[in-house]
Amino acid sequence: MATAARKTLPALAHAELVGSTIRDRLRTAEDSEVVSAFLSGEERAFSELVERYQTRLLNFIYRTIGDREKAEDLVQEVFIRVYRHLHRFDRSKKFSTWVYTIASNLAKNELRNRSRNPLVLFQTITKNWQDEERPLQFEDPGNRPDDLFRKRDIREKVEEAVGQLPEHHRNVFVLRELEGKSYEEIAEITHTNLGTVKSRLNRARNSFAEIIGPWLG
Amino acid sequence: MNPANIQIRSHLNGPGADESAPYGSDRHKTRWLAACTARLGGTIIDAARYPYSMRCSEFKDLHCSFVDDTLAGVELVRMQRHIAECADCARLDASVRRSLMLVRSLQPIEPSADFAFRLDARLRECRLSQASVTGGRFRTVAAIGAIASLIMLGYVAETMKVTDQRHTLPEIVLPPAVAMAIPPDTTPVPSIVASVSAGMPIWPAALLVEQGGLQTVSYTQPR
Repeated sequence: MATAARKTLPALAHAELVGSTIRDRLRTAEDSEVVSAFLSGEERAFSELVERYQTRLLNFIYRTIGDREKAEDLVQEVFIRVYRHLHRFDRSKKFSTWVYTIASNLAKNELRNRSRNPLVLFQTITKNWQDEERPLQFEDPGNRPDDLFRKRDIREKVEEAVGQLPEHHRNVFVLRELEGKSYEEIAEITHTNLGTVKSRLNRARNSFAEIIGPWLG
Repeated sequence: MNPANIQIRSHLNGPGADESAPYGSDRHKTRWLAACTARLGGTIIDAARYPYSMRCSEFKDLHCSFVDDTLAGVELVRMQRHIAECADCARLDASVRRSLMLVRSLQPIEPSADFAFRLDARLRECRLSQASVTGGRFRTVAAIGAIASLIMLGYVAETMKVTDQRHTLPEIVLPPAVAMAIPPDTTPVPSIVASVSAGMPIWPAALLVEQGGLQTVSYTQPR
């Protein structure tokens, strides 16, 4: 398998010959090259993809569903799906868009399931209560407690405000403001047109400003 | 008339338009719109004379692109001018920008320590299941092939058995052929009496006899 990868990726093979490892070469390669390497049998390429996207996807899903533990599970599910179906991925498109589309769909399903099952929603809420009781020093031991409290307070308020946005507005809002996606990419990820993306983003921004406004003073 | 209901038509050149288009506060805006209405005596205000002013709804429509700094130069100037003129929209712009700064400054959360281990474990399971699925598919295909072969063999064997059975079938015994004497034809043949003169050469006469199935009778006249 590795031989096949070297055959199809002469640059990688060369990199190995001159002393640089494939992993180093993968680190600097474009997503499309890493995907090609994986499809040619280079298993290490998948680790590189995980490395690149795990934090971004975790933040995206977490901001969308508001439950960290579940968000981690869903990120893992995203990677499992990528692993299984990467051979079906249309390589003329951006890998990041594809991966975010999977993540967005999983997050949407999670929210849908929660709305159908009030018990899950209740458990999520109580889990968040328990999170609030965690000792502060586990988060950032370098800071003063009052700074820490303020930071945590800000984060909670912002997360709460994001959580109050309607689902389809929130999705677009997180993709734009936290993930820095372009309008076109958001349209592709959310299966909507450009006009809808702009309109939803505009409304989401205004709603968010309204929600967080009183707290900002 | 409620100034909020005044329709501003952007591409209509009408008389009496005010060059100043001055809204700085709500009170000012209301007064200005009321004055325009009074002057025009109608509900239509020509906005073509006010290239730098815009309606609040237009401002809100373009605000998304304004915040993302993707507007063309002219639009950008119009938006900035509107902010300078309209306190409501200026307030909205400021609050949106402040709240977005807050969101963008959020520290990203990192995956937990055991995330990689759990993912590795799941990927291993995935590989195994894929391998077993592939193996299972191979086994299924092999089983189907074996069954098909057995069926084929059974069919061939059955066919051969039938053929053998055909070979061992008792031969049809026909009754022995018995030679039977054909009874003489007793049908009366019309007798043709022909006479050939004695002076006829012998060969034409013989031919006539043969073709006509005649019997020759020699007759010699007694002397």
